[in-house]
Amino acid sequence: MKQNKGKIGIKEYIAIIALTVGTKLSDDTPSIIFENARNAGWIAVLLMGAMAIIPIILLIKVFSAHPDKNLHEVIIHLFGRFFGNILSIALLLAGVASVTVDTGTYVDIIGTMYFTKTPTSIIYMVLMLVCAYGAKRGIEQIASVAWVLIPYLKITLFIAFLVSFNSGHFDFIFPIWGEGKMEIVKSSIKNVSIFSDFLFIGLIAPLVVSFKDFKKGTIIGLFIVVFEISLALISYVMLFDYTTAELLNYPFHETIRYIEIGFLPNVETLFFPFWLVATFIRFSFYLYLSAILLGGILKIEEFEYLIPLITIIILLLGLAPDSPSIYLYIMRQKLLMLLSPAFLCLPPLMWLIAKIRGDFKNEAVQESS
Amino acid sequence: MLKEMLRLFKKQQNQEPPAKDKVVGERTDLKEQQFSSNLQENLSVIRTLYSIPDNKDVKLREMYLEGFNKNAALVFISTITDVKSIEENILKPLVENTSANKKVKDIVSIQMVHEVGIFKDAVKDMNKGNALLLLDGEAKAYILDCPDFQSRAIEKPETEVLIKGPKEAFNEKVVANISLLRKKIKNENLIFESIEVSQRSHNDVFIVYIRGLANEKLVDNIKERLGSLEVNAIQNLSLLEEYIEERNYSLFPSVLTTERPDRAASFLEDGYIALLMDNSPDSLILPATFWAFFHSPEDHYLKIHYGNFTRALRMVALFITIFTSAIYIAITTFHAEMIPPDLLLAIASSRERVPFPAVIEILIMETAFELIREAGLRVPSPIGPTIGIVGALILGQAAVEANIISPIVIIVVALGGLSSFAVSDLSLNFAVRLIRFAFILCAAMIGIYGMTAFFAAGIFYLVSLKSFGVPYLAPLSPNYKSSKDTIFRRLVKNEKLRPGFLKTSDSQKKSDGA
Repeated sequence: MKQNKGKIGIKEYIAIIALTVGTKLSDDTPSIIFENARNAGWIAVLLMGAMAIIPIILLIKVFSAHPDKNLHEVIIHLFGRFFGNILSIALLLAGVASVTVDTGTYVDIIGTMYFTKTPTSIIYMVLMLVCAYGAKRGIEQIASVAWVLIPYLKITLFIAFLVSFNSGHFDFIFPIWGEGKMEIVKSSIKNVSIFSDFLFIGLIAPLVVSFKDFKKGTIIGLFIVVFEISLALISYVMLFDYTTAELLNYPFHETIRYIEIGFLPNVETLFFPFWLVATFIRFSFYLYLSAILLGGILKIEEFEYLIPLITIIILLLGLAPDSPSIYLYIMRQKLLMLLSPAFLCLPPLMWLIAKIRGDFKNEAVQESS
Repeated sequence: MLKEMLRLFKKQQNQEPPAKDKVVGERTDLKEQQFSSNLQENLSVIRTLYSIPDNKDVKLREMYLEGFNKNAALVFISTITDVKSIEENILKPLVENTSANKKVKDIVSIQMVHEVGIFKDAVKDMNKGNALLLLDGEAKAYILDCPDFQSRAIEKPETEVLIKGPKEAFNEKVVANISLLRKKIKNENLIFESIEVSQRSHNDVFIVYIRGLANEKLVDNIKERLGSLEVNAIQNLSLLEEYIEERNYSLFPSVLTTERPDRAASFLEDGYIALLMDNSPDSLILPATFWAFFHSPEDHYLKIHYGNFTRALRMVALFITIFTSAIYIAITTFHAEMIPPDLLLAIASSRERVPFPAVIEILIMETAFELIREAGLRVPSPIGPTIGIVGALILGQAAVEANIISPIVIIVVALGGLSSFAVSDLSLNFAVRLIRFAFILCAAMIGIYGMTAFFAAGIFYLVSLKSFGVPYLAPLSPNYKSSKDTIFRRLVKNEKLRPGFLKTSDSQKKSDGA
C-alpha cells in the first residue's frame, strides 16, 4: 500500500510536539530533574526551556535556508557525505536508544503500576504492535490522531493537576531556589536534552505545510511543553514534597493514585487510558522518525517498510534488562546527560557551517527575487 | 521447470478477458440487424426477440392505416406501458388520420417520438416501457414515449424518522425521486446523468450533481467506476454500493444511504454527488465522512441548542454502545479497586451465585440481545410485540432467577443496546455494534490496556480511511475550510462555507452579511 505523502498543518504539528515532549512529565523525567534541583525542579524546567530556545532557533535558521530538506539531508548537505552519514548514524543510535529506554520505561510503568500480574513481554508487544501500526499509517495519520485526541488528553491531564493542586500544600514549593541557584543550573544543563526531541522533529520539517508554520509551531510547541512540564513539577512537589517526589520513580502515576475525585477513591483507571493513548501516539511518532532517519541513511525511498524492523529491534532490546525500574532509570539518566551537549552544540555547529558555506545568502537572494 | 511454470503462469495471466458485450443467451446477432423495409420481416425478428406468443404481456397490434395506405404494427409491453395513452394518443389518431402527407410525428399526440434504425435500440426502448411503431415500406421504426411502471406512492420515511421537517421519502420509482429532488433544487444546473451499469438487465444509475459546483474530477471518477462494471444485473443501490466502495472489508461505511430527499438535496447543494436508481427507495451520497453518518437532518431543523443537545446525546450513546460492556468487564476483572467499596460489594453479592466469569456473562447477554433484536425485526408484525415482551422481560427475569446472569449485567447490556438505537444510520449502527464485541474481547484479555490499545489502533485506522479521496474524519482532521459542522453545529447563518474537502468550484454558501 502506498502511503499518502501529504503534509501536516500547524495545528497537527503542535499537537504532535505537545504529545511527544509533553508526555515526558508522566514518566521518570521529573524524578531525574528532582534529583539535583529538588523542589526547584519547575524553575529548572523553565531554565531548560530558555536554554533550549537557542539551539532550536539556530536549527530553524538552518532549516530556513533549506526548507525542503529534512534534518538528515541538511546534515549531509552541511557536513558532506562521509561525516554527515556518521553524524546521522550517531543520531539514529541515540534516537533508537532513547526510544528503547523510553518504551522500556513506559512498559515498566504499566507493568508496575497497573498490570502487576501481566507478563512484561505481553505488555511490550501490545505497545509496540499498536505503535508500529500507527507509524506504518504515516505521519499524516499520526498527526491527525494527535490533533483529534489532544483536547481530551490535555483536559484530563489538567483535571488531574487541578485536583492535585487542591489537595497539595502550596508551602512545599519553598524555598523557591531549592538547593541553590547553582544546582538548578547544573540540573538544567545536564537534562536539557529532554527537549532534544526538537532536534529529531527536524526530520519532518519539510512535511509541515509551510516553513512559516514549522517555525511558529516549533516555538509555540516549546512554550506549551515547558509550561506543562513545569506545572507538573509544581504539582508533584506540592502533593508529595520534594523528598518523596524524588524517590518516586513515576510521580504522575503516584499522583493519579493519590488523588480522589468526589465519591471515587481510586481514579487512576480513569486517567490511565488517556495517558496510554498519548503514549501510543508518542511512540508511533518516534518509530516513524527513526524510520525516516534510517531510510535516509540507507537511501531507501519507501522507508515505511523499515518500521517493522525497527520495532522488532526495539522490542528485543527493551525486553533485555532484568530489573527495568532501576536499570532503565540509570540508562535514561546517562542518555540524557550524553545527549545534552549534543543537543546544545549540534545546531550552533550546523548554523556556523551553513553561515560559512554561505547558505543564508542564497536564501536572501531567493527571498528578494 | 520453474521457468516453465512461470511461463505458463504468465500465459494464463495474459489470457484475454471475455469480451464485454458478449452475453450468452441473448440474440445479439438479431439485435445488431437494421430494420428492413418489409414489415413482415421486421415483425418476425421482433417475434423471435420477444418470443411472441410465449411472452404474454408483449402485445403486437397489426393494422391498416388508411391515410398512409400502408400496413403498420404497434408493439409494446402492456404491463409497463400506459395502455390508455396508447389507445387514445396513438391508435386513435393513427387510425382516424386521412391525410397522406402528415408524418407520424404530427399525428400521434405523445410527448416524445424518435426514430431508430436498428433492433438493439428499439428493444432497449421497448424494455423501458415505450411503444414501437413499424410501418410497411420504411426501414426504420418509431419509438413512442409512454412508459408506466407500477410503483407505490410517495410515503413517509420509515428508517430516518424525524419529528420536525419534511415527511416525504424516496420511493422505488426513479422518476418520482428525481421530481422530489427537482422540487427542492430549482436550478438548470442540477444534472441527472444516466449510465447503464449492467449488460443483461440494463439497469440505469443516475448520477446527480450540480454542475459548476460539484468537483468535476470526482464526477468523472464516479462515472468511470460505474462505466467499468461488467455485471449482468445490479438491481438497486444497496447492491451497487459494494461495487463502487473502495474498501469492501472495512467495518466503516464509506457511502451514505438516505431515503430523505431533503437530506439528499442539502448534500447536493454542498457539492456532494448523489446516485439514484430505479427500484431503490433511497439515494447514495458520496463521498461520505464519519460526520455524515453521525448527523441527522433534524439537528439542523431544530433550534440550535436542541439540535446540539441531540448530537451530544448521540455522541454519548455512541460511546456507551461501544464501551459499557467492555468497561464493565475490564473493571470487574482487572481494576476492581476503582469501584467505590459499596458498589463493589453490591456487584460482588449479585454475582456471588453466578457460575460464569464476567465476560461469559456479558457475551451471553449481548448475544441474546442481538438475537431478540434480529428476531424482532423479522417476525411477522402481529407477533412482534410478543417477542419483545418474552425476550426482554421474561428471558431477563428468568435468567437472573436461574443465576445464569447477574442483574447488573442486564443493566449494562440493556443500556448499551438501548444506546445503539440512538445511532440512527444503519451502517454506522452495525459498525458500532460489531466493534463493541471487539472491545469486549480486548477488555477480557488485558483490561483497560487492551481496550486503549485497540482504541488507539482504531483511531489510526479511522483517520487513514478515505471515501472517494476524502479523509474520513475531515474536516476535523486533516483540517479543511468548512462550516465546522462536526460534533456540534453552528448557527445556520454562520455556516457559510461548503466543505473544503470536496474541492467545490464555489466554496461560499452565503454572503458574509447573511
